[in-house]
Amino acid sequence: MGVLRAGLCPGLTQDTVQLLKSRGIKTVVDLVSADLEDVAQKCGLSYKALVALRRVLLAQFSAFPFNGADLYEELKTSTAILSTGIGSLDKLLDAGLYTGEVTEIVGGPGSGKTQVCLCVAANVAYSLQQNVVYVDSNGGLTASRLLQLLQARTPDEEEQAGALQRIQVVRAFDIFQMLDVLQDLRGAMSQQVSSASATVKVVVVDSVTAVVSPLLGGQQREGLALMMQMARELKTLARDVGVAVMVTNHMTRDRDSGKLKPALGRSWSFVPSTRILLDIEEGAGMSGSWRRAYLTKSPRLPTGFQEMVDIGTWGTPEQSPTSQGDQM
Amino acid sequence: MCSDFHRAESGTQGFSCEWLDSRVSAARLSSPSLPSASYLLWCTLLARLEGRSALKEIEPYLFADEDSSVHGDILEFHGPEGTGKTEMLYHLTARCVLPKSEGGLEVEVLFIDTDYRFDMLRLVTILERRLSGGSSGSEDEVKRCLGRLFVVSCGSSTHLLLTLHSLESTVCGHPSLCLLILDSLSAFYWIDRANGGESVNSQESALKKCSQFLEKLAHEYRLVVFATTQSLMQKASAWTEGPSSAGADYRPYLCKAWQRVVKHRLFFSRPEDLKTSNRFSLVSHNLKSNSYKKHVFIIGESGIEFC
Repeated sequence: MGVLRAGLCPGLTQDTVQLLKSRGIKTVVDLVSADLEDVAQKCGLSYKALVALRRVLLAQFSAFPFNGADLYEELKTSTAILSTGIGSLDKLLDAGLYTGEVTEIVGGPGSGKTQVCLCVAANVAYSLQQNVVYVDSNGGLTASRLLQLLQARTPDEEEQAGALQRIQVVRAFDIFQMLDVLQDLRGAMSQQVSSASATVKVVVVDSVTAVVSPLLGGQQREGLALMMQMARELKTLARDVGVAVMVTNHMTRDRDSGKLKPALGRSWSFVPSTRILLDIEEGAGMSGSWRRAYLTKSPRLPTGFQEMVDIGTWGTPEQSPTSQGDQM
Repeated sequence: MCSDFHRAESGTQGFSCEWLDSRVSAARLSSPSLPSASYLLWCTLLARLEGRSALKEIEPYLFADEDSSVHGDILEFHGPEGTGKTEMLYHLTARCVLPKSEGGLEVEVLFIDTDYRFDMLRLVTILERRLSGGSSGSEDEVKRCLGRLFVVSCGSSTHLLLTLHSLESTVCGHPSLCLLILDSLSAFYWIDRANGGESVNSQESALKKCSQFLEKLAHEYRLVVFATTQSLMQKASAWTEGPSSAGADYRPYLCKAWQRVVKHRLFFSRPEDLKTSNRFSLVSHNLKSNSYKKHVFIIGESGIEFC
């Protein structure tokens, strides 16, 4: 989108392009915002032709407004809620991960972020029978741990193998690889929508900090622009293809107050629609596997809710009644 | 609008309103004595002016003591993440699209979404809670309300500019469209800065043109424009209590053209120590009269409720 050239739209000939260029109108934006009567006089082109050209260019390059009622109808049929397999997390997320949204899990080192991701992948692949794409950027994924989680759910080896096949692992260790991976995924998935077999419903990115934090600091501009580009890719993936995107982020210390806060700064904080903070719970009588999960951002529930989770038991599926209410 | 009026009268094709064109051509086919383009234009103006008084009640808490109307004004919602800006937009949208019998204004709303953050499910929840009559009959009613809402998504600042140009004909063709929402204007800030090279002017050029066109749209068609901008920059000093300090906290980073067209600026914030409660506060700064006013609200299932 940008430069005017012959054949860009019907009615735009090489002569027209040259005439417009001679008067300083080189891009689509220039032509659309110009005073067409003035241009018609100076270039010797027909006013009617210019108006028609402007309309065609606008129709081609601008976004189309959708009616709210139609949008709602479409969303009702395409939105799905995917249970994470962890009852207390599902409570915080209001029944599970919503497709079309980006959910962030943030926590310090050892707080269980990768374990949450692996648990979600195993649950979606086995219990919900849907495909998962796991983008690994810090080497935290081990297939043996996935197998362990699946073995705890079913003793049948064929089912385990089937579930493992539904998890696709992609590795991306820097921002450009990550952008490539996300764009390829979007292209591949939008073609796959018509197929009858199980489609990808969850994309896990563990973690975004690993690819973005080397870019931040110092010459800020390009790093932040790349981060925002990745954010756009993630959101477009979630919305256009209809998947639930889950990302993990680290914690960092605030410069002024010294308190811990999610990394990647203010610009990133606007990107996810839901954020859950995992904190290591320390106290007398608690074994090392307890974590406290706080809901710090949500589009549906009031924030400040917290739940206790024991990551030591995540190997086994929960017996609590909430896990029976899986919605798909 | 005046120059367009004159051009339409003189018969030249200066007025690029497709709705008007289609009406004129339809009238030409049906009756020999067709209504002139200028007459139809006058009807459109009248329809919009009549809706004007109704819109003064768009949010009594925010605009009660406004001596001048907010029509044709651009209002900016500014604040860090999680402070209720988007909730406020849904609240205002709900107030506009709800029917008059339920306390709404029954006007149309255009919602421009620049970073894929429009949450239809949340808006539907708010509408369902506000409609009386329970959940049985409200499905159709919700659909009717949603029929008054138009949603557009943009991918870059030039895309936004071109979309605004093409939306001019939508605005023209819907005389009951009184509210334009832009969430959010700062979504492309870092990408524009990186793409514009070294010159700040070229980095800001698309946003500058968007601001000027928004002002033109608001002024000509008497719309109210709400735009959110995110607090992307670090605070210079710690935030202190008091309405005037909201100005000190605000670090303008968008182009000067945008700052010139804004008539009201509303700063949203959330007191740090009350993280578990749902109280939010907003300071409304009227740039024309340079007055500040503080409001406090909570966010519930049915959206924003002022305290």
